[in-house]
Formats: sequence, C-alpha cells, structure tokens
Amino acid sequence: MFRKLLTIFFATFIFGLTLAEEPNEVYPFEDSIHEERFLSLLNELRCPKCQGSNLAGSNAPIAIDLKREVYRLVKLGKTEKEVKTYLVDRYGNFIVYDPPFESDTYALWLAPLIIFLITISVILFRRFSN
Amino acid sequence: MKNLLNLLPLIAFVILIAVLYSFLTQDNDQLESVLVDQSVPEFRLPSLENPEITISKSNINKLPAVINVWATWCIACKVEHPFLMKLKEESIVTVYGLNYKDNRRKALDLLKKDGNPFELSIFDEHGKLAIDLGVYGAPETFFIDKTGIIRERHVGALTTKVWKEKFERFLNEDNDV
Repeated sequence: MFRKLLTIFFATFIFGLTLAEEPNEVYPFEDSIHEERFLSLLNELRCPKCQGSNLAGSNAPIAIDLKREVYRLVKLGKTEKEVKTYLVDRYGNFIVYDPPFESDTYALWLAPLIIFLITISVILFRRFSN
Repeated sequence: MKNLLNLLPLIAFVILIAVLYSFLTQDNDQLESVLVDQSVPEFRLPSLENPEITISKSNINKLPAVINVWATWCIACKVEHPFLMKLKEESIVTVYGLNYKDNRRKALDLLKKDGNPFELSIFDEHGKLAIDLGVYGAPETFFIDKTGIIRERHVGALTTKVWKEKFERFLNEDNDV
C-alpha cells in the first residue's frame, strides 16, 4: 500500500513538472555569432514590466514581444550596440543593466565612489587625530 | 568634533533610512517615457473595425488628442472606460484607441456593449506600434498636443484625478495659444 502511494506521489510530481514547463518560443539562428549576441542581449536587457528580471528570465507578454524584436534585429545583422540603442530610444536607460554615464545617472555611478572617499577620510582622520 | 565623528554612522544611517523611505511612497510603475517631447512614431496598422483599412500617423489629425492603449484582457482598462467615454461625450479631447495584443472579435464586442470612445481604433495585434511607443503594459495613455508632439504618458487607469494632475495643463496651454 505504501509503495503504491509512493509511486502515485512521484508520478504526479513528474507529471506536474511536464505541465509546469513553459512552451518557450524557439529562436533558430544560422549564424552562431548572431545566436551568441542574441543570448547575451537577453541577459543584459531588463524586462520593463517585471522590473526585477532580465528578458531571458521573463515570460511576461511584453518580454516575449521584446525578445522577438531583439531576435528580428539580430537576424538583420544589427550590432549589440545598435539593438541597445533601439530599445533605449523607446524604453529609456531603464532597459539596460549598464546605463550610460550621463546627467541622469551621475548619482548612480558616482555615489559608491563618494561614499568610499568619505569612509576613507573618516578612517584616516580618526587614525591621525588619535 | 570628535563626538560629531562618532555620531557619523548614526547620521549616515538616518539619511539612508530617509532616502529609502522616500522611495517607498514613489510609484515604481511609472517609468518616465523617452517619447515625451517627441513626435508620434510612424506606423501602418489595420483598423480594428475593418482589417482592409490601414491607419497611419497621418490619420491622427484631430488634435489635441490622447492615444489610449487598451485590451479586453486588461482589467484596469475596464475601470477607465467610463472616463474615456466622458472625454468623448464632453468633447474634452479626441481619443484614439490602440487595441493592444487583443482579439478583434472580443474587442469589437466590448466596444459595442460598453460604448466606443475612440475616434479611430488601431489594431496592434503583435504590439508593433506599442514597442515604438515604449508601452510595457495596458492601459497606457499618451497626450498629443496640437502640433503632434507627445507631451505626457500615464501608465495605469486614467481617472479624473490623473487627468487633472498630469494632462489638463496641456489642454489649457493649447487654449491660450
């Protein structure tokens, strides 16, 4: 009886796994350089809807559309930079994980450096005033 | 001076908490649109009512206007629908509809049932124009001033409050000119 239950338990588990698997879209490439570029772009672009994840890790409808768009652009032979520019022109710097260094993002880039400098100066100041 | 230095970690901590707290109340869903102050992108898409009819940028000509991105699968779109009807009925502004990743039949049924606030309905089955507009979820509403420039974008249901806060000023500005 126990073995039977165990079998049923694992059978439902395995069946559940196959159900849970998303029918991911396939993006065939003839050129392996293009394929590499496509995959690396998916990792470096952020999903605008589900803000915590990249395009590769999201199946939100907008992420699927953007993946298709990136696929189309890469197939056309666009460079990584061109694809990123294309998306930044529409979605803003938010969509890239490494935003450019410009007036909007000064705080973002400089804050760690400033905090580091303050910390160092405090440590030095304390050391020497002792 | 030395006392002040000892207090520095506490001061830094308080500042950090204040900064984080101020972000708590910020609406994360509102990404700033890059398209603000730009012209409406070029497009060629079928009309929702008739697949044979192509709508392009030149058809968006009764300005000022709003372009409303909506779908039947979108709950917040149902919430804002009465407000869109009001915009039309009181002739406040022209409303253009961008039906986004939807089913044509369902969309037409809904407009028949709840009323059609749209001057024209663009059918964007694959979200092509939506990507050019930087749309990341429905509903979204874009205000187009009378020179055809996008002035503001709102993500989420359009309400009287949002209208007053974000859109109305562009209308007044247009009346002054």
